[in-house]
Formats: sequence, structure tokens, C-alpha cells
Amino acid sequence: MPESSEATVTLTGDLHARPAGALTMAAAKFSAEVVLSVGGREANAKSVLAVMQLGASRGQPVTVRAVGADAAEAVAAVTEILTAATKVGD
Amino acid sequence: MAASVGIVLVSHSAALAAGTAELAGQVGGGAVLIVPAGGTFDGRLGTSADKVLSAIQSAAAGGGGVVVLPDLGSSVLTVRSLLANGELTSLGPVELADAPFVEGAVAAAVMAAGGGSLKDVLDAAREARHAGKL
Repeated sequence: MPESSEATVTLTGDLHARPAGALTMAAAKFSAEVVLSVGGREANAKSVLAVMQLGASRGQPVTVRAVGADAAEAVAAVTEILTAATKVGD
Repeated sequence: MAASVGIVLVSHSAALAAGTAELAGQVGGGAVLIVPAGGTFDGRLGTSADKVLSAIQSAAAGGGGVVVLPDLGSSVLTVRSLLANGELTSLGPVELADAPFVEGAVAAAVMAAGGGSLKDVLDAAREARHAGKL
């Protein structure tokens, strides 16, 4: 059974292009599949365009789910970016 | 340090190439080599084989190969003729990406900045065609 991990972060800023880029680069470092879900939409966290397409905005809860050997580390890294990067706003 | 993939943006417009390079570079966190090759030497709209060649030479410095994104029409032809003439063979692998210009550049930049291989970066640019905005 592959490991899985999940966490939810409420955004303190909009998930614009630059934080989406930072998030994608963080997710890409892990072998686990990482999926973001917000408002009933899902995106592959390793695709910057898919992450931007979510249109996730301030105040929305974003759930990060990962499946794979390094799932827990991937979720930790991605939630850290979501928490930190969206503070900047744009 | 591992070899990194460089990106060349070929446009008829110097402003479009430079602006797209700026945007993609910022989304990529500044950790990627993106070289714009837009317009002609005398500032008109058009494509210049010399500008494109020089941009590819700069982008090849990362050692991981180069992905070239053309905007339209003769941008494609200009890159194709450089590839066909063998002028790029000494520079390592150079791939021409069939991709939307802005989205492809952003997706490629993020993949390259994250340490992706030449194939990863090329695939990211190509897959941008299927990504929606809304």
C-alpha cells in the first residue's frame, strides 16, 4: 500500500502566478502524486497551469493530498508554500 | 550543480518576447535561464535568424539543452531553418516546442527551474495546450 497524507490550509492570500510557480516547484521535488482541491475542483500540484486554473483565493480552504512513498514530506512542503507564499498576494 | 535547461522565446515582437520572458522568469522564481529573441535588429516586427541563434547559444550555457518556443508563422520557420542548416549541432540538444507562447513559457520555466530534464521541460510546454484558464 502506498502511503498517503492530507492537510488543509486556509489561504491568507490569492494563489496567483508566482505562488503557483513556487508551489509547483516544491511539489515536483517529490515522487508522490500531489493533488490540490478547492471548492470542488482539483489540480495536479506539479502543473503550474493547473494550479493557476484553480483560481484559489484568500479565505478558501485548500486541501493537499499526496500518495506515494514521500507523501507526508510532499504535503508538508506544499502546505508550507501555501501558507507562506500566499501572504505576498500577487 | 546539475545541468539546467535553457528556454528561448522567439517572437515577431521584441516587447512580446521580453515581456513573456520576464513573466515566465518571475513565476519560475528567477531560477531559470530564459532568453528572448524578438523582432529584427533594427527594431521592426519580424524574426531574425541571427538573434535567434545568439539566444540559443546563450540558453545552451546551462548544459541541459534548449527548448525554443516560437510565437507564430515565420518564428517557426526561422528556428526550423537553423535546425536544418546544422548551425545548432555544436550547442547540444535543441528542441522546438509546439506550444502556446505565454502558457508554454510559464509551464516550461517552472519545470526548468525545478530541475526538470529537457524532455520534462518540452512536455510541460506542449501540455500547456490542454490547460484552461477558467
